[in-house]
Parts: sequence; structure tokens; C-alpha cells
Amino acid sequence: MSAAFGQLRALIVKEFKEAFRDKRAMMVAFSMSLLAPVMIMVLSKTMIKELVETPPVYAEIVGAEYAPKLVKEFTDENILPLSESKEDDLRIWQERGIKITIPETYGQDMVEGNIIDVVLNADYSDKPSLAPIRRIKDVITDHARTIGYKRLVMRGVDVRILQPLNLVEQDRAQPSSNAMMISTMLGLYLLMGAFMSGLSIAIDSSAGERERNVLEMLLCQPVSTTKIVLAKLSCAASISILSIVLMLVVTSITVGFVDLSKIGATFSIDAGMFIALLALLIPVCILAAALQLFFSFQAKSFKEAQSTVTMLIMLPAFIPFILMFIDDRPLWLDWLPVAGQSIIIEDMFKGLAINWTAFAFTSVTTIALAAVLVMTLAQKLKSEKVVMALS
Amino acid sequence: MWKAKRKAVCSALLASGLLTSSMLSLAADSEQLTTQSSKLSLENCHIDGIKEQIQCGTLTVPENYQAPSGQQIDLHFTVLSAIDNSNNKIPLMFLAGGPGQAATELSAMLRNRFYEVRKTHDIILVDQRGTGQSSQLKCHDEAFTAKSVYESLTFDFEVSEVQDCIAEFNQDLSQYNSENAIRDFDAVRAALGHDKINIYGGSYGTRAALIYMRMFPQSLNSVVLDSVAPLDMRIGLFGQSGARSYELLLSNCQAEESCQQAFPNLDEDYQKVFNQLVVKPVELTIAHPRLGTPTKLVIDVEKFVTTIQLQLYSLEGRSIMPLVINQAAQGNFMPFVGVLAAGDEKQPRGSVYSNLLMNIACNEDFPLIAEQDWQADANNGFARNISHRGVRLVCPLWPKYRPDASFYEPIRSDIPTLILSGKLDPVTPPENGERADQMLANSRHIVAEHLSHIVAVNDCGVGLVAKFIDELDLEGLDASCLAELPAETFMTSLNGNM
Repeated sequence: MSAAFGQLRALIVKEFKEAFRDKRAMMVAFSMSLLAPVMIMVLSKTMIKELVETPPVYAEIVGAEYAPKLVKEFTDENILPLSESKEDDLRIWQERGIKITIPETYGQDMVEGNIIDVVLNADYSDKPSLAPIRRIKDVITDHARTIGYKRLVMRGVDVRILQPLNLVEQDRAQPSSNAMMISTMLGLYLLMGAFMSGLSIAIDSSAGERERNVLEMLLCQPVSTTKIVLAKLSCAASISILSIVLMLVVTSITVGFVDLSKIGATFSIDAGMFIALLALLIPVCILAAALQLFFSFQAKSFKEAQSTVTMLIMLPAFIPFILMFIDDRPLWLDWLPVAGQSIIIEDMFKGLAINWTAFAFTSVTTIALAAVLVMTLAQKLKSEKVVMALS
Repeated sequence: MWKAKRKAVCSALLASGLLTSSMLSLAADSEQLTTQSSKLSLENCHIDGIKEQIQCGTLTVPENYQAPSGQQIDLHFTVLSAIDNSNNKIPLMFLAGGPGQAATELSAMLRNRFYEVRKTHDIILVDQRGTGQSSQLKCHDEAFTAKSVYESLTFDFEVSEVQDCIAEFNQDLSQYNSENAIRDFDAVRAALGHDKINIYGGSYGTRAALIYMRMFPQSLNSVVLDSVAPLDMRIGLFGQSGARSYELLLSNCQAEESCQQAFPNLDEDYQKVFNQLVVKPVELTIAHPRLGTPTKLVIDVEKFVTTIQLQLYSLEGRSIMPLVINQAAQGNFMPFVGVLAAGDEKQPRGSVYSNLLMNIACNEDFPLIAEQDWQADANNGFARNISHRGVRLVCPLWPKYRPDASFYEPIRSDIPTLILSGKLDPVTPPENGERADQMLANSRHIVAEHLSHIVAVNDCGVGLVAKFIDELDLEGLDASCLAELPAETFMTSLNGNM
């Protein structure tokens, strides 16, 4: 027993040595776990900017002197006359050419209660102009509504009659302030990372070794094919597990550079969640490695493995993406490998209680599937066809 | 959207009486509160105005802390969790005004307004005993639930009605005082497991905060006093401070060109209406502001003055007052009716529970007011003695308990304290803040030139509070944004103006 185990250990050590010798393959393996957090950070930053920031808008305001109170509302919302813009901004805003025209009769029409036409002239097909246009419209509508309410008060009307219905909204979601956009992205990247990180290592240790004639040597040794496959699997799976740990740690750090409180959210992964995520993803990493090895051994050459296997492996990695677009998910999805994990990760970030049965079941089915693949592969490696890529 | 909300919010903050104190002052340092967590329940809940779930809690405390095993009452509180709790910062407890506001009813308003604080601090709101859902002092007396704000007069109730109402209470009124309220707040703090908290008090909440500083100094990390009601000021004597605020309205109107042109004789307008109503109340038939049906409107001088005085608390209210007064002088009372309509609600969210207000004001303040104080306070050119009448009618009927003399002693403390005042304030003028500032060893007083009652009404004021409780750096606190706020402006025609 111990001798058998010693054999396996020697094989695993050999696989790791091979893997770590190829620096470029390692770079590729960990590139995703370093890129994903950076992507998450950059995307969140831009999204938050779109949502809450009110950078200065410069518009030509014709007739500002006729409506000082309205212009003050504009100023409060950081919408400023073109004349106040700085040198380098000036050109950009002149080109955009947003123009607000306030009529000369503004003051008198206001007192007389006539409708006043305020003209907003802009290019509505120009994407950068859209947010400024929206903000200008909001200021004008709010200002008009405030005046309208006051007019009614002055006529002895209870302004609440303007609101016959008051919608009281009650959100049943768990009060977790985890930023949904970040957890959604991270969930996707984690599953993709589990699938993609070990890929270069798996291809190299299967199709690659065959081309380098290392595989023949290995199979000549008095060891069972199962052990060989297991050793290769351990190596590729460990690389993806490492990559996921790295992704979680680096994400926790990079998210610190995003001021999420601007949108009333935070993001943190505590120890419990970290362990749960890891427990959930380790089976996925093992399955991914098994699939990668299985298809790489089927490939005729190293090159073919690189192209086709990459394509094939992409498919399960896209399952979480597809799930995003399925609103009414059938129950059996909870139990499937990858889909199940994806749904549980989503719930975890929402702060919902983990469905432990589904957790256990998906883990078991995932491991079982991997086991079937390993056994099949071990069987196949006994045939010359596979070893010599003759099939 | 926020503007519309802010208006409602600010009017809700009008603590109409403001201040308090309490009885049975025992040596505070000898007091030990033993709270058992078994008396605490905490769960997620929905509260009006907040879409997300917040935490609602109940803590059972003795009605009388001297008889801990006697009658128990349930305190109701809410916790607005910090957006980012990763730093475990010391929470902020909000002490409401009145006396008689139920703090939890302000949850939705504060969740929005105190956003900058809530980023990293939990906010705890406790209904003061006698208000809201903490053993509210309830009665079904008509005198306290006006039939119609348009028809009823301020004082058309019978002495017997007040007595019937008092008879309905099943609580021991002597226990519904300021000091017990503080014992309650500190019990909630302990039950939630916080060694220390920051407290923010607004209006009467500042008096509560001062008492807290005396009774449980070891529980406090920092204090913010916004619009201060020190223990030596008397709830009910608001004649002089109201007049001061009204004078500022007059001078600010004269300072703004359009207001000066539209209302060159604003004070004469006011005095004309005042004198006319003293002689004879106005009686009209109007379309009911909400129902639209013909309804009887009676305006006597009390209704006129108290309504205007209440509008002086907020910038929104002040902005329309010159127009309302000027129109009334011309015989058009409809703008005034519109203002009345805004307050035509039985017990709007965040409003003062008047029974607790009376219980505290009539026992902690009223007995200390001498006849010459009343007279001196009535010697003013705005409300004269009108703001006294309600208190002087009801207080003699109210059951009596009396705090010790020690209750009124000035409070000495070296807890870091930020003191805020609005210059235009009709009830807690900046001089109150000045007095508190002199009493406290570690404090700074900031006066907002262009704000009225309560300074933490906008991002600038709340930003100061947030920065102070984060850094506790009084010296380095940059209050320049308050100075940059614009002077108050006024509506000068019935349709608005440019």
C-alpha cells in the first residue's frame, strides 16, 4: 500500500516539476486569476461613475440673467455655463454644443402663470451627451414641480391630493449590502477560472508529453495507468485551485480601491465564505482537469489539443453565463455540475442560506463525473491507438 | 425627488416644544444597569419609507428603575446597519427632539439624510418611553385630536377633557421623564453589546444628550449637540427667541431686492393682521383643501401666530412666510390655508407625541418659570404671550412629579462635543450653543449663518457630523461649507418668481 502510494507520490512530484519548469504555461495558468480582479475593479469603477458621479457639465445658457433661481439649481447640480469651463474642457464641450435657452419673458410669464418654453438644444445621438441631457432635464422638471406645488399651497390646496397612491415598496432580499455587480462578475470569473487555469498544464502533460515521447517512457514503467492519470489530474487541478485562491485574495484587495459606499454597497469575503467557496469549487477544478486531460489525449497533436480542447472546455465555462439569461430555472439545474455551483455561489453572495443538500449533491455528481472520466481515460491509455494518437 | 422629500422631512423635524429633563436624579455614578440579553429581541423588518429590510428590536426594561422587578415596559428601537461594517466603527445613537418625537419614525428620513454617517457607522434609533411603540401615552381625547384644523380653534377644549385624557393613562406618569429615557437608551446600548457609542441630539435631543453625558459618561465616545436646549432654558418660554427669528426674517427680506420690492412694509402687514385678529377672528367658507367641499374656516390670532412660528423652523417654511403674511394683510387667507393644510394630519410620521411633551415640560420646566419670566418673555413684537397659552392652560392640570435640584445643575464634561447652531433658529438660538460651549471642557461651537432649527439638514451639516465622529478632531474640522450656503430667499408672487 505504502509502496503504491509512494509510486503515486513520485508521479505527482514529477508532474509538478514538469509543470513548474514551463514558466510560460504557469504565466498563462495564473493570468486569469490576476486579470479577473483587475477587470472587476475597472468595470465597477466605471459603473459607479456612470451611476452616481456628477462631473461638471458645461452648456451654453442663453438668457441666464432672466432666471437666476433656475440657474442656481443648475449650478447646484454642477451644470455650469460654458464660460466657466477650463481651457482643455472648453473644446470638448463646445463641440458637444449643448444649449439651453431661457426666454426674455421668463420672469413675467412666471408671475402670470403662463407656460414658459425653456429650449434644450443638443445632439441626442451623441452618447457622451446623454447623461448631461438627462441631468439638465431632471433639474428643470424638479424646479418646475417645486414651483407648481408652491402655487397650489398659495391657493389653499392640500398638495397631497396630487398623490392619490403611495407605493410602499418592500424588498424581501436579505439585507446584505454586497455589491451585486461585483459578486456576479466574481461568480462568473471563479467558474471560468476553475475551468481555464489548468488548461495549459493539462495539455502539456498529455498531448505535449506524447509529442516529446515522454508518455511512452512513462507507460513502459511498471505503474498502473490510473496512477498516471491521477498524478496528472492532481497537478492540473492543484494549479486551478491555486488560481482560484489567488483570484479571491487579489479581488478582496483590488475591491478595496473601489469606493462602493457611493452606491450604498460593500464587498467583503469573510473566512466562512472563503472556505465555502473553496469547498464548492474544488470539485469543479477536479472535473475541469479530468475533462481537459480526457480531450487532450483524444487530440492528434499538441497543436490540435490547444485549439480544439480550448474550444470544448469553453462550453461548460459558459454555463454560468447562459444561466444569467434563464429567468425561470428548472429545479434540476440545481443538481447539475457547474450549473449547481453557479446557483449556489449566487445565493451565497446574496446572503441567502446555503442549500446544503444541493451543495452536497452537485459536489458528489461533479466528483463522480470526474471519476468516470479518469477511469475511462486510464482504460484508454492501455490501448496503442490513444498512446500513439492513431485513432 | 430629494427636494420634495426634504421639504416633508424638514417639516417633520419641527419639534414644537423642544426640550426636557427629568426627575429622580440619583447619583449617576452609583447606578449599575443590569441588562439581560434574554429581554432583547432583534429581527429584520420593513419600515415605511425604506424599501430594504432594516433591524427592529425590542428591549424589556423596568418602568421604574428603582423597582426593577415591578412593572416592565417594552422599548422599541431600530438599527440602520452601516453600509461597510468591516472596520467595526462605534455606532451613532440618534436622540430625537420634542420632547415626544419617536426616533424610529425618523428611520427612513435619517437613512437618506445621514448617508455619510451610515457609510461606516450603524445608526441606532430608540423610541423614547411614552412615544411611538415604547409604551406610548395614549388617550382618545378630542382635545388632542383636533376635528379639523380649519374649523377648530387652538383653545376650544374643556378642562374636563384634559382630565379625562389623563385618566386614561395606565402608566405611572412620574416614570416618564428625561432621566429614565436616558437609562433606557443606555440599556439599549448595553444590550446591543456596544461598550461605547457616539450620540447625536437635535433640539430636545441635545438636552437628552447632556443628561446622558452626566449619567453615563463612560458610555460615550463623542457627542454632537445640534440646536442646543441646555438645562437652564425653559420649554415654553419661546416668545423672545421666536421674535428674534422673525426679526431676522424681516431683515433678510429687506436684504433681498425682490422681497424688499414686493413687501416693503412686511412688519406693518403682520401687525395689521395680528391686531385685526385680536379684535375678531376671520370666518370664511372655503373649499376644503383636501376634500374640495365647502367647509368653515376660522382663523383666530393664536392659530395665525402659532402656524407662522412653526414655519420659522425651516428654510422652506420661511421662504413663503413674507408672501403669506402680505396676502393675509390684503385679506387673502388662502395661502395661509395652504400652509395649514400641510399640517392637516392626525399624527404624521415623526411628529411629536404631545402627551409625553406635556408630561415632561409641565414637570421639568413649567414649575420653574416665575410670573416675571412669563412677562419678560411676552414683551416682544411677534407672538407676545401667545406661545405661552397652551402650556399655561394644560400644565396646571397635569399630574405632578418633581426632579431634584441637582437635575438642573450645569453639566461638566470633557467628552469631545461638537455644538451646532443655526442663526435663524426660533427656539434654540445660537446663544444656547454658546452657553453649552462655555460649560464643556472639550467642545467647539459652529454657527451656520443661513440655517434655522437643526444644522444637519443638508450634506454639509451631516458631513461635519460624520467627519467629527470619525476623527474627533474639533480643531481641524473644516466648516467652510456652512459659510458657503446661500442666504435665504423668498417667494414674492403667488406663482413664484424668477
